[in-house]
Formats: sequence, structure tokens, C-alpha cells
Amino acid sequence: MKKLLLEKAHVEGIRTYEVYRREGGYRSVEKALKMAPADITEEVKKSGLRGRGGAGFPTGLKWSFLAKPEGIPRHLVVNADESEPGTFKDRYLMEFIPHLLIEGMVVSSFALGSNVSYIYIRGEYAWIVDILEEAIAEAKQNGFLGKNILDSGFDCEIYVHRGAGAYICGEETALLESLEGKRGNPRIKPPFPAVKGVWERPTVVNNVETIAAVVPIINDGGEEYAKIGVGKSTGTKLISACGNINKPGVFEIDMTISVEEFIYSDEYCGGIPNGKKLKACIPGGSSVPILPANLLLTTAKGEKRMMNYESLSDGGFATGSMMGSGGFIVLDEDQCVVRHTYTLARFYRHESCGQCSPCREGTGWMEKILLNIENGKGKKSDIDLLWDIQRRIEGNTICPLGDAAAWPVAAAIRHFRDEFEWHVQNPGECLKRNFGLAHYADAIHVPVAG
Amino acid sequence: MSEEIKTFKVTIDNITIDVAPGTTILNAARQIGGDVTPPAMCYYSKLEGSGGKCRTCLVEVAAGSTADPRPMPKLVASCRTAVMDGMVVKNITSDKVLDARNGVVEFLLINHPLDCPICDQAGECHLQDLSYEHGTEGTRYEFKRRTFEKEDIGPLIQLHMTRCILCYRCTYVADQITDKRVHGILDRGDHAEISTYISKAIDNDFSGNMIDVCPVGALTDKTFRFKNRVWFTKPVDAHRDCENPKCCGKATLWLRGDEVYRVTTRTDPWGEVQSFDGKPGWICNTCRFEKKKTSDWVVEGLTTISRHSVIGANKYAKLEMPKDTIKEVLDGRDPKLLMDIHSVSGVNKPEIYLSELDRPAHIEDFAKPTEHKLDKPVQPSLLNEEKK
Repeated sequence: MKKLLLEKAHVEGIRTYEVYRREGGYRSVEKALKMAPADITEEVKKSGLRGRGGAGFPTGLKWSFLAKPEGIPRHLVVNADESEPGTFKDRYLMEFIPHLLIEGMVVSSFALGSNVSYIYIRGEYAWIVDILEEAIAEAKQNGFLGKNILDSGFDCEIYVHRGAGAYICGEETALLESLEGKRGNPRIKPPFPAVKGVWERPTVVNNVETIAAVVPIINDGGEEYAKIGVGKSTGTKLISACGNINKPGVFEIDMTISVEEFIYSDEYCGGIPNGKKLKACIPGGSSVPILPANLLLTTAKGEKRMMNYESLSDGGFATGSMMGSGGFIVLDEDQCVVRHTYTLARFYRHESCGQCSPCREGTGWMEKILLNIENGKGKKSDIDLLWDIQRRIEGNTICPLGDAAAWPVAAAIRHFRDEFEWHVQNPGECLKRNFGLAHYADAIHVPVAG
Repeated sequence: MSEEIKTFKVTIDNITIDVAPGTTILNAARQIGGDVTPPAMCYYSKLEGSGGKCRTCLVEVAAGSTADPRPMPKLVASCRTAVMDGMVVKNITSDKVLDARNGVVEFLLINHPLDCPICDQAGECHLQDLSYEHGTEGTRYEFKRRTFEKEDIGPLIQLHMTRCILCYRCTYVADQITDKRVHGILDRGDHAEISTYISKAIDNDFSGNMIDVCPVGALTDKTFRFKNRVWFTKPVDAHRDCENPKCCGKATLWLRGDEVYRVTTRTDPWGEVQSFDGKPGWICNTCRFEKKKTSDWVVEGLTTISRHSVIGANKYAKLEMPKDTIKEVLDGRDPKLLMDIHSVSGVNKPEIYLSELDRPAHIEDFAKPTEHKLDKPVQPSLLNEEKK
């Protein structure tokens, strides 16, 4: 398979401008600056590129929504606040091949008419800030950034802005608030950032990987890009795999392979270590629903589940999950789903901004109940209570963090209810053995949606 | 034709109303009034940017507009969603909405101390009203409620962070009404709190208005603290010529006898500050905290409280006259005397039937404490024959 993003990531010295340029870097800028900005958007539309941050919204469409009022500057903001547990693909990309992001940003900024673009990076990625700033300085020295890029008359500056350690600032409107120097509370939409974004100016917020993918799209053409992949899942996707697998890391896949192949192939995860069986997996970062092994490998219809947007969400939340941001977390038969869900609930409780009541109060409540169940103090009614809490959080909050906190709990109860009940009936047992029910690793009855 | 289409038609709970474009669903519902109006804990029409946070005003949009009649997939915050022409909104007619609202109330209450018996806000607390309507009698929350370190924010305002529901209204007041904001939200999530960076920092001419906008008892008046229950005080409208040009000088005095216990802004039926000549009637701290004599004010008359709170419930609005005689109370039946308390009681003199006096009872009609012999057993006689 041809890699588009990470192909050159391990060339010696690719972080420097000289090597990157020698390997064919910044060709897309040269090409794009001769095109009309609208044509670049058109090319991105043709490519079928979908947002790589989690929601999977078509990027070209998003760009075309950008309001273009006279006399008001527009901005491109790259969301590098990659804080979802299990997701670390952007870090890899920025760390190893920073110029790819800068190149993609120059092209995208030109397409969107943004003369000042920002990279909002999570504060914990401090060393990557240095890498990016060095890349920006080099690009500037070589005329790919700054005033009058390649004599085209287009000016573009890129600034790197560090976050201060909040997951919520990965939500695009909270990110914009934080970028403006305010408290990172999500804004109430509408207005959407495309109309009123940073400093009330039209803004496009895109994920790092999305912007990087613009480079091959411009180089090879949108139609060529769309040929890779399947259906509406075009191009390549970075998957950061972790958990109980032999080869954790970041893999670039073309979305035509099956989940089974991805987990067991030596090219990717390399199987489950110590001869253990697969119990469950979160296929797209901590906030997407967890799936038990049988539903992960085959859909409720009995088809093989593939690593793409449509197949992973096949069956809705009843029997499916989501592609999400590509944080692939694998759990083997020894892992306890209750403990795992508690860990996630703890994370969401800690990261809730506290602005709207269901998320502020509900996340803390869920965490406490889960801790009780895990510690053997749970009651059977707690499981129904958990279900009720998550149901009342989901969809009733300002931003998707409420949903993200509710989904993992909902999915864990939906698919692993008897493991929760086992925890209640055998208090403290899981603390002694440190795992939950292994039988999920065996094929079990597949519930049919509806 | 295009001249005529200046209003949007919106249907809320099967009641259709014409409103100006740009009106939010909540404000359209307020124009209808009554039960159709969603409750609002954080939205405050006079504070720009407020709303959207508490989620109590969630409504279901069954049809987006005439042009696009698709329903909205999620419940929307009515305070921040503008109406479209032909929009159909379900509030109390939607089970989904009521369920979500019950959920929000439950969430708001799980960490609330429920210390209403000692809270100065009790009786005019929006959270109390909301709990009456949407709360459950018990709680499913079995954990220790969240508490905070006490913070002294200044000499005039008492902060009880445990009661706070983080509506952010007070921060908007500080931003928009006072000269500068020195308090805000620190921390995040369920440990977020209203606080000042430097203790005792809130000192501003209009800071007292934060007390009035606070929907719960998180910010209360230090000069009124523990002095009285609001339902024992009598609200009267009053005004004075305030030397502060930004102060409207129109206020509500809360009296008991001739004593002014508290001065607040005047509120509208939604618990918000009333507007005078299109401007919100905020009052300055001098009026609020220092002018506590009736002689400082020109009293206009009793305040009508239309809000369905404890104060308004049976005192000032829709007052029902008590029935005059016991016969009326008993629907025309004659009272049946089961026991003559008169002969049992040591309170009045045995020879005087208080009920048969044609005048109010005087002190002489009652037994003196010395005549009151407890050790002497009194013979109870059923159905006093002599009386008939």
C-alpha cells in the first residue's frame, strides 16, 4: 500500500527543510499558488477527504461554508490539541515530519484566504512546539512562508499557540476561546466558526492530519486521492494503536483492510501478546463506544468489519461504533471492562469544563458509581442508574464532551452488562484477580439492531 | 406583500404567536406566558451572552421552519435558539423535554446542600421553584456532596459556593454593569467555583446586583443575612433620587413593620430586573446597603409578586378570602362539639366562655398564672349540656 503521509517520515533528517525539500516537499505549494483558491477547495471536495479529528465531516464542504465577507480577515486554525486517550497520531506526524503540516497549512491558508494561521497545540506537546517553530522558521527563510510567498502576492504567517492542558480545548469553539486568551469554555452554536470564529472572524478549524492530507491531494489531484479507500472513506488514515497488542504505534492504512487484519497482521498491530484472546476494542479513541470481540470483527449483519468510517459505524450504537479519531485501543481477555470504564469516566469528569449542568454533575456522579462497582460496593440498581445518567447527559449538553462521556459508559453497559452484574454479585473479586469476565473473548450471541 | 412579512409565526405547545425575527424560543414563550414558558436558571435577558448553560430550558423543535420542516435532532436550549418562521416547538407537551428537564434538576441538586431552612434565598429561589415542579422527593445520589473552601469576597456580599449552580450570571453583571470584574470561575468541571483571585476583592458601586441575579442562595446580602425570612417581610415599591447617574433609584424595599430589612431591584414576572424606559433598573450599592430607613425612600405601594414562588403562592396574588364561619368550612354541616376544651383548659377563667363574648377577649378574661393550678385535676365533661 502506498503511504501518503508517513512515507518519508523516517528518512534521515526529514525534519530539516533541506531533506524535506529534496524528498519532494513543498511541491504542492508551488502548484497550489498557481491555482485559484476556489479550485483548491474544489479539489479537496473531489478527494472526498473527511475530517480526521473524529467527526468525519467532509473537509471540502466545511471549507465551502466559510463566510467571506469583504474586509474581514479569515483564519485557518489547526487543531493539534490531541488529548483523547488512545489517540496520538498527530503527535507522530508533527514530531517526525513537521514540514508536511506546514506545507499543508500554506496550501490550505491560500485556499481559504487566511493570512494568519494558527496551530493550537496541546501544552503537553512542549517539545513539538520547538520542532514546529523550527520548521516554520526554515519555511520562512526559504520563502514558503511570510510575505509574498513564491512571488504570488500571497502572505501567510503561522503561529504556534500552546494550550494549557485541557482536553476541552480540543473542541473547536473552546479552542477558539482559548486561542483568544479566554477560559476554554465551548461556545454555544450557532454561530458556527465558519461565520464567527476566532475574534469573531470566519474561521476554519481542521485537524492536523486533515491539513497534512491536503498535500497529497494537491500533488496528485483530488480524483487520484479519492481512488484510494472505499466508498466515502477515501484516502489514507492514521491509526494510533495501543493496548494489548504486540506492536503499538501509528499506522497509515488505506481503509480497505478489515479490523481482523489490522489487529492480527504483522504489518500492523501484530496480534495479541502472550497468546491471549481479544476481548474488546475501542476503535476510534476513548469517547467512541467499546465493542466486544465478536461485534468488532463482524457486523450484526454478519459481514466482516472493515477499518473505515461506514463499516465501523455499521449498526449504529446498538451493534457498531465509530471511526472517531483513530485511537485504536485493544483489550485482551484479562482486562476488566468496569475498571476500564471507570478510568474513562474519571478522565471525562476531570476534563469537563463545568459550564453546563448535565456534564458537570453527571460525569462526576458516573465516576463515583463506577468506582463503587469496581470496589465491590455497587448495587444492582446502580447499573440502571448509570444508564439513566448517561441517557440524560447525552445530547443535552452544549458541546460533544457530554456525549463523549456518556457513550463509553452506555456501550460498556450495553455490551458487558453481565460483567457489571458479576462485579455487584462478587464484590471485591475483580480486585483480587484484577480482571473481569474472560468469556467475552469467545464468540457470543450477536444482538441484532432494533 | 413583503412589507407584511415582518413577524415569524411560531407554535409553542400548540399555541401560535407572531414574534419579531431574531426572538429566541424562550422569549417567544414568555410572550405567551404561563406554563408554556420553559424555566431558565442561567439565561437573563438583560445580560448579554448569558444562557445556554443550565439546560433547564431545553425544548424539542418538532419542525424547524416552514421552509425546512425537519425536526431538530437534539433538544435545543430555547434561550439561545432563535425562532424561524413556521417553527413548531414542544415544551411541556413533549415527554422527552420533561424527562431531560427532570434530569437537569436532578443533576443540579445532587451536589446542592439543600440547606433551604437556613438559606436567605429560600422563598425566592429559582432552584426551589424548579425542584417543586420537576424534582423527585428522594435522591439517587449516595455520595458525599461537594464542598468548597470558604471564600470571603468582600464586606457586602456573602458567597456560599456550595449552593452555586454556575449560571455565570454574576460574572456577566461584573462585566457589564460594574467597572471591572474581579471574580470569575476558577478551576473546571465539578470542582469549578466562583471566586476572587484576591480575597475580599469585590468592591464596586454596582456589585450588589450580583445578589439579585443569582438564581440560588450562592450570593446573598450580608446586611440581610439571617435577619429574616423573605416571606415574613413585606415588599413595597419605592424610589429615591440617587446621586449616582447609573443608578435607577427604583427599588423594592422588604419591610417588617417600619423597618427596612432589605433593598433589592424590582423584578419582573421572570425573576429578572425590571426595565424602566428600556433600560434595566439596576441599583447602586448605596441604595441597596445604606439606605435602610423608610425615610430615605418614597414608598409607592405594595409590590405585586406574580412569580409562582413561596412568597407569591398565597400571600399577594390570587388571595382567597377565608371562610367566615365553621359552618361554611364544613359545607353547611353544624359543628359537633366533641369535647369542651373550655373546661379542660387552664388558660381562661372557667366562668367565661370566650366564644360567647361579643367583644375581643381582654387580659382579664384569662386566668392569671397563679390561678393556673396544674396539680389540680380537671374533670373533663363531654358535651356541655348547659351551653345548649
